Amino acid sequence: MKKKTKITLKSYLWSSPSLLLIGLIVVFPIFYTAYISMTNMNVYHWFDYTVIGFDNYFKALFMFDSGFLSALLATIIWTLVNMILQLVIAYVLATLLNNPKLKLRRFYKTLLMFPWAMPGYVSILLWKTGMFNTEFGLLNQLMTKLGLATYHWLSNDLSAFICCTIVNLWLALPFMIMIIDGAMQSIDKSYYEVAKLEGANWIQRAYYVTVPTIKPIIAPAVIITIFTTFKQFDVVYLLTQQAGSKTGSGFHTILTFAYENAFIASNYGYSSAISIIIFILLIVFSATFKLKEEGDR
Amino acid sequence: MTKKPKEIVGQVFLNIFFIVLCFITLVPILYALSVSFSNQNGLLSSDFSFIPKDFTFANYKEVLFGEDIMTWFGNTILLAVATVGLSLTVAVPAAYCFSRRRFPGRKAIIKCLILLNSFPAILSMFAIYRLLRPLGLINNRLGLIIVYVGTMSVFSLWNTKGYFDTIPTALEESAQIDGANTFQIVIKIVLPLARPSIIVTALMVLIYVWNEYIYATTFMTGEKTYTLAAGLNSLQATEMQGSWPVFAAASIVVSLPVLIIFFLCQKYMTSGLTAGGVKG
Amino acid sequence: MKKTIISLLIVTLIATIFCGAVGCNPTGNTDPSSLVIWHDKEEAVITPLQDYVKKALPNITVTFERKSSLTDSLKLVGNDPNSAPDMFIFAHDKIGVFAEMNILTPVTDIIGEDFKSEYLPMTLSAVTYKEKLYQLPLYFETLLFMYNSKYMLENEVPETTDELLEYMKNNTGRGRYGFVEQHSTAYYSAGWIHAFGGCIIDDSGTPFPNGQAVKDALNYHTQFVNLMPGESEYNTVNTLFLNGKADATIGGPWMVPSARDAGIKLGIAPMPTVTGTRKSLAPYSGVQGIHVLKFAAENKAQTVKDFLNVLTASEVGIRLAMASGCAPAKTDCYDDERIKKDEMVQIMRQTAEIAVPMPNIPEMDVMWTVVDSLLIDVNLKKKNIDASFDTALEKANSLIDAMK
Repeated sequence: MKKKTKITLKSYLWSSPSLLLIGLIVVFPIFYTAYISMTNMNVYHWFDYTVIGFDNYFKALFMFDSGFLSALLATIIWTLVNMILQLVIAYVLATLLNNPKLKLRRFYKTLLMFPWAMPGYVSILLWKTGMFNTEFGLLNQLMTKLGLATYHWLSNDLSAFICCTIVNLWLALPFMIMIIDGAMQSIDKSYYEVAKLEGANWIQRAYYVTVPTIKPIIAPAVIITIFTTFKQFDVVYLLTQQAGSKTGSGFHTILTFAYENAFIASNYGYSSAISIIIFILLIVFSATFKLKEEGDR
Repeated sequence: MTKKPKEIVGQVFLNIFFIVLCFITLVPILYALSVSFSNQNGLLSSDFSFIPKDFTFANYKEVLFGEDIMTWFGNTILLAVATVGLSLTVAVPAAYCFSRRRFPGRKAIIKCLILLNSFPAILSMFAIYRLLRPLGLINNRLGLIIVYVGTMSVFSLWNTKGYFDTIPTALEESAQIDGANTFQIVIKIVLPLARPSIIVTALMVLIYVWNEYIYATTFMTGEKTYTLAAGLNSLQATEMQGSWPVFAAASIVVSLPVLIIFFLCQKYMTSGLTAGGVKG
Repeated sequence: MKKTIISLLIVTLIATIFCGAVGCNPTGNTDPSSLVIWHDKEEAVITPLQDYVKKALPNITVTFERKSSLTDSLKLVGNDPNSAPDMFIFAHDKIGVFAEMNILTPVTDIIGEDFKSEYLPMTLSAVTYKEKLYQLPLYFETLLFMYNSKYMLENEVPETTDELLEYMKNNTGRGRYGFVEQHSTAYYSAGWIHAFGGCIIDDSGTPFPNGQAVKDALNYHTQFVNLMPGESEYNTVNTLFLNGKADATIGGPWMVPSARDAGIKLGIAPMPTVTGTRKSLAPYSGVQGIHVLKFAAENKAQTVKDFLNVLTASEVGIRLAMASGCAPAKTDCYDDERIKKDEMVQIMRQTAEIAVPMPNIPEMDVMWTVVDSLLIDVNLKKKNIDASFDTALEKANSLIDAMK
């Protein structure tokens, strides 16, 4: 009994720097936001705000009309599509990159990491003006060369969704490839030898050896990516919804929707209430997908 | 042993596949590269080619000598080293405890962390400002480091813990019997085995610091304190000012160090495990 | 491995301590002989200003710091003397927000009312919020009608919008455009709305006070939009004009240097008049100038006063106009021999008579997005104007409501 207490204390002691930092930078802002959501902090009461209770929440509920629900649905579809594509593509590429006969592996890997090394907003800008622009974009220059009609890539909901997905994949795949690749490095090669001896083919080896082994290793990164995808703002906002260069797409994730319908009002109390509501939705979303089981291991 | 023709064909195909893939992936970057070498002040042109028509190094010269880029580079390196080092220093012991020890609150904390981390950070800025101000950490690099380490620590903790979980405990147990203490076990056995995940974590933190500009521009004042990303952001060509080619050149310059680091790190990405650590 | 880790730890420790020590600059910005000024301008504007102030006020150290997220930063640190600047240079359209946040001191409280008589009335009304002047204007910007005289000949320059439309019909096609503008952004379309007697928001914060005028403007504007590219973002529009693929455009003075660099034979003309209403397209204007933060006004009163007084000299405006081609806010600058020759500055002076200052009330903040969406719906998605307008009005009201 005494030993157990000692272990507990020691563990907390060793974890304390990490937990303290998380407490300060991750947890504190949530509670602070919750507090602000109860106040009337806005342009007219920026420094002299007072607690007003749940008024902001009542106001926020009015925002949750059909627009919000369809944005929520779009966000869920967006998350699913992106995660499935990301995992499948990254898995296939990592497998190919791990082919022992591929001599130039390090070179290819480094080139494939390039999108990750560039600041995100730069990349998104390059895609928007360089690729998708209707007058000068490479895609439309290519279409013209092929004798096809030019296309407004970002101006209807579906094609904007596809373009955003492509850009998001482009930005996120390097990380996913690296995670899966790193995990594959840890697989004991003897498993494969055994599997080969037993006559397992490529798919069987992947199914029985690779996937089960890497699953626990990549799980944390994948879960974190799911949340990042869910709360994706930059890609969708900068590509299609930025003030002054909107493209006509109606595709919104809940964050871009909340931004356009609430955050721009510079009412911190109200925006905070909406953030807290979105946060609660995220928790509900993750509970539905039973992500919490991960912690039980 | 002579190679079978089938194998050679497979290899050729594999290489062609990757060359094509790399090219497609790099199209936007080649675009930026071409713009950065071009003499015309525009991000767009009606007949684009990957080889710039009006070739010039002037934009790179302006980036490297015209701006305080070396100061920014120094600032970024300092921040990046401190943040990566501190992140690993705090994350590894915590991850080890969460992976190996069983204590009350462990499961609950792990579950909570991931959920808390999902909070949309758009509004965190204000709270963090309120937190740092009384501590005198606004306009102070230490403040920025704390913010960065804190932001990345959920990822660092989770990612390393996940990898530690997969390392068999057999080796550690035998080391313990030989009289090694926990510190020695972690340093000598666990870390070498977990090398891929340590490197992935470090790279992730590094790239975050490298590319982060919102905190860096809001919490720090004065061009002398900018990081590369913040400086790049201030160079950003808007409608009123700035030059696209210079901006493109700057983005390429900013990305290169990360790529070099990545290339160098790959050699160490293989885990000690595959070298035959725990076979018996 | 052990060595690596230990050395890594040591490096980290040193770096962290170093950062703490170096970063810890006690900017207890309270030294009364020094002023810190934030801005978001290019060097061509700041350098002449800096040089002038240095000579005129040798005893004061003035630091100009470029800040890329100026308004967001001010919202955070506005009342914190340790991190906030003493003053900042920015466009006048955020005055309402900052005044309501209570971080600004009216400049008239510091240097009195006398200077007012020498400034263009438009600039003064732009910087007035709730009957107080919150900015000392330096210069202003407004949109101009520009054409490429290689394609659009002198006698073809349209005086009315009908002529413009006629020209567009004759000269648009096969990858070329007669006229382009950022047709679906609020800043650019405001000129059309004003020409029909409408406006985006009035002084009391009512969005679209004259709804019918807005609808008429949108309706009339559509025929022009149909002859322009389906992309209204600035990169596309400016590149078309600079590449010689568009004969004319409406753009800001900031386009002039790039047009000259691109070898365009640039002509500048007054804004065309809308045939139906006989009013010119009246673009928004932005007045750039110095705002004083409360803390500085209270604690460095004399320094701030000296500084502002120096900047009321006409020479400041003249130097700014010569260095960067911006239009000075002071009337007598335009009579200076050096400025008389500058055709663009003189045309901006003319436009100042019709230009409408951007609203500076806080409510305007949300209108940019609302109007953008409305324009996108009408111009690009070809939705019904009445229905789109109703949606936009509803959204505007709910957002303005949400501000309180």
